Amino acid sequence: MPLSPVADAGARRDRRDRLRRFLSDWQAVVGLALVILFVASAVFAPWIAPYDPNAMDIPARMSGPSWAHLAGTDQLGRDTFSRILHGGRVALLIAAIGVSVSLVVGLILGMIAGFGPRWLDSLLLLVFDGVRSFPSIILALATVALTGPSLTVVLAIVIITSIPGYARVARTATLALRHAEFILAERSLGAGTTRILLHHMMPNVIGPLLILAAMDVPVVVSIEAGLSFLGIGVLPPRSSWGTILNEGYLLIRDAPWMVVAGGIPLILTTLGFTFLGEALRDTFDPRMGRER
Amino acid sequence: MDDTILDVSGLSLDFRTGRGRIRALRDVSFPVRRGRILGIVGESGSGKSTVLWSILGLLARNAEVTSGRIAFQGRDLLGLDDEALRAIRGEKISVVFQDPMTSQIPVLPYARQFSDILYRRSMSRAEKRDAAVELLRRVGIPDPEDRIDAYPHQFSGGMRQRAAIAMSMLTGPNLLLADEPTTALDVTMEAQMIDLMRDLRAAFDTTIVVVSHNLGLIAEMCDDVVVMYAGEVVETGEVRDIFHNARHPYTRALLECDPARVERTGGRLPVIPGDIPDLSASLTGCIFAARCPRAMPICRTETPPDVARGTGHARCHLLEGPGADPDWPPPAGVVAVGRTDPPPAAVRPKRSGEPLLEVRGLNVRFGTMGPIRARIRGVRDPFVDAVLDVDLSVAPGETLALVGESGSGKSTLGRAILNLLPVNRGSVSFDGQSVENRPERRFKPLRRDMAMMFQDPVGSLSPRKSVRALITEPLVIHGAGGRDLNAEAERLADMVRLPRNFLSRYPHELSGGQARRVGVARALSLNPRLIIADEPTAGLDVSVQGEILNLMADLQAEHGLGYLIITHNLPVVRHIADRIAIMYLGRMVEEGPAAEVFAAPAHPYTHALVSGVPYPDPDRRRPPSSAISGEVPSLLRRPPGCDFAPRCPFARPACREAKPPTVHLSPERRHACLFPLVPPERQN
Repeated sequence: MPLSPVADAGARRDRRDRLRRFLSDWQAVVGLALVILFVASAVFAPWIAPYDPNAMDIPARMSGPSWAHLAGTDQLGRDTFSRILHGGRVALLIAAIGVSVSLVVGLILGMIAGFGPRWLDSLLLLVFDGVRSFPSIILALATVALTGPSLTVVLAIVIITSIPGYARVARTATLALRHAEFILAERSLGAGTTRILLHHMMPNVIGPLLILAAMDVPVVVSIEAGLSFLGIGVLPPRSSWGTILNEGYLLIRDAPWMVVAGGIPLILTTLGFTFLGEALRDTFDPRMGRER
Repeated sequence: MDDTILDVSGLSLDFRTGRGRIRALRDVSFPVRRGRILGIVGESGSGKSTVLWSILGLLARNAEVTSGRIAFQGRDLLGLDDEALRAIRGEKISVVFQDPMTSQIPVLPYARQFSDILYRRSMSRAEKRDAAVELLRRVGIPDPEDRIDAYPHQFSGGMRQRAAIAMSMLTGPNLLLADEPTTALDVTMEAQMIDLMRDLRAAFDTTIVVVSHNLGLIAEMCDDVVVMYAGEVVETGEVRDIFHNARHPYTRALLECDPARVERTGGRLPVIPGDIPDLSASLTGCIFAARCPRAMPICRTETPPDVARGTGHARCHLLEGPGADPDWPPPAGVVAVGRTDPPPAAVRPKRSGEPLLEVRGLNVRFGTMGPIRARIRGVRDPFVDAVLDVDLSVAPGETLALVGESGSGKSTLGRAILNLLPVNRGSVSFDGQSVENRPERRFKPLRRDMAMMFQDPVGSLSPRKSVRALITEPLVIHGAGGRDLNAEAERLADMVRLPRNFLSRYPHELSGGQARRVGVARALSLNPRLIIADEPTAGLDVSVQGEILNLMADLQAEHGLGYLIITHNLPVVRHIADRIAIMYLGRMVEEGPAAEVFAAPAHPYTHALVSGVPYPDPDRRRPPSSAISGEVPSLLRRPPGCDFAPRCPFARPACREAKPPTVHLSPERRHACLFPLVPPERQN
């Protein structure tokens, strides 16, 4: 007689349990709501935004928040609310591409370091630590001095500085599993290294990386905002939360709403992804998942 | 005065989980009498450890006691608050855990761990230390004055468990609880531990409760026995009554299935078909009815009566009421419950023709440090020899058992044969061609013919793959082009008698026995000719291991497979092996036909192993201190002369001088001992 009367429902039931536990956590719900708000507002910005973000309306310049301009206007009379919505597109783009590329590259390098020969591990670790020891802003300033500011440079900086974090986590998880009996069993069946890494190592290593990625999104978004604030990221007239903050900072005495309006989405997005990441970790952490 | 020290009565306990309440214990009652050793025996999932944790008040947070009492010296432990419980735990009740590796604090020396236990006592540090040293000496740790400053990792497994016992006895507890105290230990260590605990019980006047699945251990050391199944006590009684006069069908089945109690070899082992019931479902009638061959309609509807008989109780409809059977229980020795299938139709082909696997003078060594560090430290030979000059052969259709304790190098040998470890010297030939140290690309085709089953049934399955993917993976790796993988998966599942709906499950959803079947299916998927099985029965319950062994025997008979079985489980070896080879510290010390070796071991180590297994019969207890002393030494400190000489009760000066040569008693039988135990007339 099988352990449970409904034989195949096991995996599905586990997943449902996990979802229910996830949704019973207020942090998870708030985080998820904020993340959805962020993604939706960025994706649908052209349709939601009441004005063209770059349309100047000189007579209405520097006007405070009103029903016509929810977050006021800037020194050129552009609608700040619309610029924030469009700035979210930049943030989303950087977050999505930056995080996913660094996750994939970090995962591959980390698994190679953890599974490969000792010298390769040492070499890769040296590279990771070298990159990590560079402050990202200094690295960005140096790069921009060579290439000039652009979105591509921001992305490249984000990716290069995030890879070591993912690679280290992947390496540690791989090292822990390297001598596991099921890996030996695969070798005894004749499975090659590529097969072992892709089919057997990766599914067991990727979980913590996904959680790390969720918590990394706000970091990436703030790096972009920081670089744009310093004027070495996204260039005007394109709007980004960083450039809005920068312009608002210059006009803080005359138009304080710009700094406030540029800061709030940054704070909400950071909170949303952090809550989500923590809730994911609590749900998937094997120490929390075991019932006995 | 009442001599009951602990009285568990009507204890019921639920675990609240995401999938509903699991009724882990139901109406568990048994008394523990002062000064006796009580054994709680049951298979995995029987709730035996849960009983232990509820006595200690150390249950998981999702546990909820729904009714019952645990009275210790007249006080109900369940009603006490944490403060009062802490005053009892460690002082009056203490515990020995299964794995001394994880139950001791790795970063503190023993001296500190011992003095921490005495934190309530107003004693000076020196007094505490003296008390600890005295106890360490008592449990047989040599040089306790010095060794007390050691850390747990500096102790060997056996010494660690001795220290654990010393820790639990330090406060002079009235009640000692032991959870599978010997399961993590080797056979010779187990015998020493049993001696030690019996000895301490007499010296300290302590009552002991032992939880174990090992019937041999229970028979050897207990006075009273409680048999549990799926969260219920099915039978209690004194040890002789339980082992000779069991009244509950489950107790009988457990005893009948134990390979150590099945005298007849070569046949099939009895099994209890089925699996433990789902405790989250509603339960009616007798909990064992679904697996009981004597089940009657009443068993499925009515709760069985608790009948007092002999020295204890049993819960069974066969004993009382409308279903009573005057002829039950049948006399001991009659297989009444376990299912014994007729032997397979095809008689096992006797070993024939050329050997399938031939190993000659095999050596495997591990580096202890890198070449540069060795040069700096001036170590000339930075290696340890894990396998030394081993010869063996396996013919088609033959089972060779490789037996030894941990550290004997038997698993290393198995892995070296399969080219998972480099061979230092010697040869491995498979089917006549030499295969050792081949590059993986050239070895890969051979992996179709040589398969391995690993020790941990669940841990050797890739955790994120479905059973279907796992079973068919060998076919994918070896390019089984054009075959219908789904059909193959179903064929293999049928072959190992795994229900087809299990194909979409994942390893963590399988029981040990089911996972083992998946392992067998994987090993068989490419129709190999040789299977190397590392502890094929490890982690399996008695009732299940018979099924796996029978299955392996059937497949051998059908396909003419050669088996190399690596194990320390001698009762199982006696049933399945044609020949056995004994290893000690990387060397083969004896080899020969299984029946001959068991009947008359030539090497003293073989003798120690064969007599070291506790026999599951309280009338065949070994005299105290018959256990062989000492432990398997570290490979780094290989003794001069015969490897076994320091532990050998028969060692003479000559043994300590030179390595004994291998002597052939007959073409089939050889040993490496200067003074073998076989009578001289047997030596030609």
